[in-house]
Amino acid sequence: MLDVGRHPNIKLMAYSEVEEVNGEVGNFRVKIKRKARYVNEDKCTGCGACSEKCPTVVPDAFNEGLSTRKAIYTWFAQGIPSTHTIDTEHCRQFQGKKCGICQKVCQADAVEYDQKDKFVELSVGAIVVATGYEVFNPNRIPEYGYKEIDNVVTAIEFERLLSASGPTGGHLYRPSDLKVKEEVPALEKSLKKLSKALERFEKKYGQKSEEFYKALGKEEQGNDPDKAKWAEAYEQKEEVSKRLSEYKAILEKMDVAKKLAFIQCVGSRDIRFYPFCSGYCCMHSIKEAIIANEHEPETNSVIFGMDIRAVGKGFEEYKIRGADHSSITYVRGRVAEIIQLPDKTPVVVYEDTMERVVREEPFDLVILATACVPNKGTKELAGILGIELDRFGFFRTTQANPVDTTRPGIFVCGCADSPMDIPESVAQASAAAARAAQVIVETEMKKAS
Amino acid sequence: MSRDILVIGGGIAGIQAALDLAEMDFKVHLVERLPSIGGKMAQLDKTFPTNDCAI
Amino acid sequence: MAGKKKKEFEELRIGVFICDCGSNIAGHLDCKAVTEYAATLPGVVFAKENLYTCSEAGILEIQEAIKKHKLNRVVVASCSPRTHQPLFQNSCKSAGLNPYLFEMVNIRDQCSWVHMQDRENATRKAMDLVRMAVARAAFLEPQQDIESPLTPRVGVIGGGSAGLSAAEGLSRMGLEVVLVEKNKELGGLLRNLHKVAPEGVDASERLEGLIQDVSSRPNVKIFTGAELKSLDGYVGNYVMNIRDGEGQTVKESVGCLVIAIGAIPLVQKGLFGHDGKRVITQMELEPILKKGKFDAKRVVMIQCAGARGDERSYCSRICCMIAVKNAMFIKKLSPDTEIRILYRDMQMYGTEKEKMLWEARGEGIRFEVYDPAHPPEVGDKAVRLRQPLLGREIEFAYDLVVLSTPLVAREDASELSQLLRVPMDQNGFFLEAHAKLRPLDFAADGIFLAGSCRYPATYDEARSQGLGAAARVGTILFKDKLVTSAIVAEINPETCVGCMGCLQMCPYGAISYDQERKICQVNEILCKGCGCCAATCPSESASLRGFKPQQLMSQIRAVMEG
Ligand SMILES: Cc1cc2nc3c(=O)[nH]c(=O)nc-3n(C[C@H](O)[C@H](O)[C@H](O)COP(=O)(O)OP(=O)(O)OC[C@H]3O[C@@H](n4cnc5c(N)ncnc54)[C@H](O)[C@@H]3O)c2cc1C
Ligand SMILES: Cc1cc2nc3c(=O)[nH]c(=O)nc-3n(C[C@H](O)[C@H](O)[C@H](O)COP(=O)(O)OP(=O)(O)OC[C@H]3O[C@@H](n4cnc5c(N)ncnc54)[C@H](O)[C@@H]3O)c2cc1C
Ligand code: SF4
Ligand code: SF4
Ligand code: SF4
Ligand code: SF4
Repeated sequence: MLDVGRHPNIKLMAYSEVEEVNGEVGNFRVKIKRKARYVNEDKCTGCGACSEKCPTVVPDAFNEGLSTRKAIYTWFAQGIPSTHTIDTEHCRQFQGKKCGICQKVCQADAVEYDQKDKFVELSVGAIVVATGYEVFNPNRIPEYGYKEIDNVVTAIEFERLLSASGPTGGHLYRPSDLKVKEEVPALEKSLKKLSKALERFEKKYGQKSEEFYKALGKEEQGNDPDKAKWAEAYEQKEEVSKRLSEYKAILEKMDVAKKLAFIQCVGSRDIRFYPFCSGYCCMHSIKEAIIANEHEPETNSVIFGMDIRAVGKGFEEYKIRGADHSSITYVRGRVAEIIQLPDKTPVVVYEDTMERVVREEPFDLVILATACVPNKGTKELAGILGIELDRFGFFRTTQANPVDTTRPGIFVCGCADSPMDIPESVAQASAAAARAAQVIVETEMKKAS
Repeated sequence: MSRDILVIGGGIAGIQAALDLAEMDFKVHLVERLPSIGGKMAQLDKTFPTNDCAI
Repeated sequence: MAGKKKKEFEELRIGVFICDCGSNIAGHLDCKAVTEYAATLPGVVFAKENLYTCSEAGILEIQEAIKKHKLNRVVVASCSPRTHQPLFQNSCKSAGLNPYLFEMVNIRDQCSWVHMQDRENATRKAMDLVRMAVARAAFLEPQQDIESPLTPRVGVIGGGSAGLSAAEGLSRMGLEVVLVEKNKELGGLLRNLHKVAPEGVDASERLEGLIQDVSSRPNVKIFTGAELKSLDGYVGNYVMNIRDGEGQTVKESVGCLVIAIGAIPLVQKGLFGHDGKRVITQMELEPILKKGKFDAKRVVMIQCAGARGDERSYCSRICCMIAVKNAMFIKKLSPDTEIRILYRDMQMYGTEKEKMLWEARGEGIRFEVYDPAHPPEVGDKAVRLRQPLLGREIEFAYDLVVLSTPLVAREDASELSQLLRVPMDQNGFFLEAHAKLRPLDFAADGIFLAGSCRYPATYDEARSQGLGAAARVGTILFKDKLVTSAIVAEINPETCVGCMGCLQMCPYGAISYDQERKICQVNEILCKGCGCCAATCPSESASLRGFKPQQLMSQIRAVMEG
């Protein structure tokens, strides 16, 4: 990745989009919008002083919203380029409030609130489209309770939970527990505040709050607004401290998730959504189960799928190793529903197609292997490039010319073509590079003759 | 005519295509929508089948 | 102890960078302690811990430290030199430090990974390794990369879908191609196929266009009925010794090679009762379908015949698709034929194959799961299957059983692997340089692979890989010269006694004997820097740049010091 940033022949334009394409193979004219970052790319050293001081906290999209970042941010820690960017939707300065902190702290003088989008015109001989994919939003399958049930996550969220540089530092805590943990400081703060208020009343009236509340008659409350406030504060305090002790009890028992369920084909191989197979998700479930087991050797995983598609080089062996050494069980079946117990434990309801019975099994965490679907903006880009999409919304190619789009001189590779794993994406990318090189060499030769 | 090549998308596929072309001595313009390149692979913890770190 | 001696030459200014790799390293050993320790080592003037040394910020830090602290050696303790050494070396270079004055330690694989559960000892080991690296760094010498010319021609071995695609790609990129096909005719496996799924066009149609295109290209030279007999030279300057169709030996100079010799569908007499008549393989079924007449009324197909078991553990990737394709075509020829496919997992990955599976179900083709612990038994008249669903045995009477057998590596692949000096995996397929990030490269420079000789592939995958290999070749041959590492052996002509001990030891044939001067000498481009010669030479005339006795001894002494 870093090689791209430093290669003398590569001009990297991040935070940019293609706006217009004219011309033809050998001579396309392209207009690119370089979106304003509000940080000068040449001056910013990526030191991060600005984001450290920025007061505005925003959900971190790179971590799938499982952690937070600031309004001035980098996409991820090792990101290339490391130039910071202001998220204008959240930045105070842009939302009409006073701030300007980042500009003050930036030693490189890189923050420019008045930066504008820039447009760059290029002339290119060939174009390679590698815009990738997006994961299916499992909200569309209400039976799986995604976002309703805390301990149901998508595979990509799970990747972030497993990652040492992720929101939990690689510790596999259940999101429901993390939520509780997150709320504790606020509760403690409000408990402190309420206690102080009660103390004031106690001093003023020379009576313990508890006694006061016990002795309190209904009518009195209405008569004296001060005492009504006291009573209210007392009730609130009781409530908050009860919740806090419940939460603390949960946290005391908090342990990493050790029993995992992986649900395959979420949105894939499903006539309601995408009839195709996404190809790589059986493998990433196996991988994630293996890694979870590496983190915590007591971890057991069940993978629920119709077929386990492990078709690449070494994949079948990988799958068997997973079963033998990483406590993975493969169950052939479709999951009908996921329900939640009062203690937030998710329960998987599935039909075991081998034994033809409906079963229920509780897990610590359920992971959804969501489909690989066309990236947002694919349609618009197809319009700009003047190329066709296939019936699923990926860029159209043919078997005879697997990386050629419908317009000469424009090629496609990776998941923008169709779902595929990394080795296949890499091989296809080289194929697209070969085709791009060919059209340039051929145009040159035509010119020369 | 132009010898330059435009690559749209800076995931693993776009990166590989850009590097191959750059090594073939073409000038490559790599356009990425997000603030940094890396695509989905950058979000992955470790990747099959070799289980080494993603980036 | 070493400190004093070195002062005589130049003042040592070593910088050490310890990478946390997020928590990949720092999670399992104490990087801070290692950094503090490094700072105390002789010659070290700067030591720094980074969250990610390979990040832009980390690199910048190295480069600034080189300038600010006038570093003349840099040591990075992080992950694998295989992936990151070039990056760090180049970064040193652009900061004005000779890249050969860089030394790398792998404290991820060798410490944090292998001693994951033992923080204390992982930390100690990391300190030991860093101490050794610093000791070695003290004796490193600046080197210059070696430059050599390139031949802009490419040898393609194998003329199937992958080889033809590579040849077409290379030729259109303006490179000359020498295509060597063992068979009398080009085309490979596709020649014997009927239709090509998923699009369903005739295999001959698919193939003819490609063969014609390649054959008509003026910059493609084709040898059929020919074989590569031996290979001399090195990246950029190979010489292929080909035995052509007439049995003559022809020499062809090429800069790179693409290997695309395919694989063959397994035919094993007796496997599930295979007799080539009533029990046949999918490959044997293809010509029958090609004839356009099909009379068997009851067909049973058995998946994974000879695959995914003890003998061959891998999944052959394409045979599920082939079964569905052929089953559907049987239905077309003979709609009332009853077809059952006995399977373990239907591997219909991707957009188009899964669609075939839906369609096949729609056409009444029946799919029955079997448990590999109880594989189907092929009797005289019926196939017996223990149905995992009901736990009971059922029988399917048959007229024809078709076995979906895997593609297996060619027997002569191992010969080729030896003559090219490229590795094979446990299944006899060629082994690429990196399963994920370099699927089309061999670890050997200038040799690439594509198609089913790497791993079973469909036509479009083989074609993509062939084209992709062309691009990979381009990354070498589109340059005007070859630049290779200076870490090669050298033989001191003053002390060499010409015993030729090294010549016999060198696995790369990089050493030759100079008749006139009666000494041995090294070809710097062929030399891979393995050091066999240096270890053998009785007069200590052969040595490896960057790994001279003094440099190694310093490292060994350092480990003893701990
Ligand atoms: C949870 C999960 C785990 C996985 N694990 C593995 C694994 O272990 N091993 C493996 O081999 N595969 C794995 N995969 C699959 C892997 O993610 C893909 O094969 C790979 O990322 C595809 O790369 P790509 O470059 O085609 O697409 P992407 O990674 O999606 O990259 C596309 C890039 O293009 C950019 N882009 C999009 N639209 C535009 C536009 N209009 N203009 C400019 N830029 C644009 C995007 O921002 C992005 O940076 C996994 C997938 C998932 C979901
Ligand atoms: C029964 C069957 C049905 C199939 N159906 C389909 C289908 O419907 N759709 C689809 O996409 N794919 C299908 N395939 C797969 C398809 O055949 C392969 O994808 C394709 O043949 C792979 O091409 P290749 O070039 O890698 O190998 P091959 O086609 O095997 O070509 C290799 C070539 O190398 C030559 N060679 C071997 N050794 C040497 C040597 N030492 N020196 C020189 N030359 C050598 C061989 O003679 C051969 O010509 C099918 C395969 C089988 C077995
Ligand atoms: S904008 Fe300024 S403060 Fe922020 S990272 Fe860039 S250089 Fe540092
Ligand atoms: S102006 Fe304030 S809110 Fe906006 S990015 Fe800078 S520090 Fe954050
Ligand atoms: S790869 Fe596996 S999980 Fe993904 S769609 Fe295909 S069968 Fe389903
Ligand atoms: S592709 Fe299908 S038949 Fe072939 S080995 Fe794999 S699972 Fe078995």
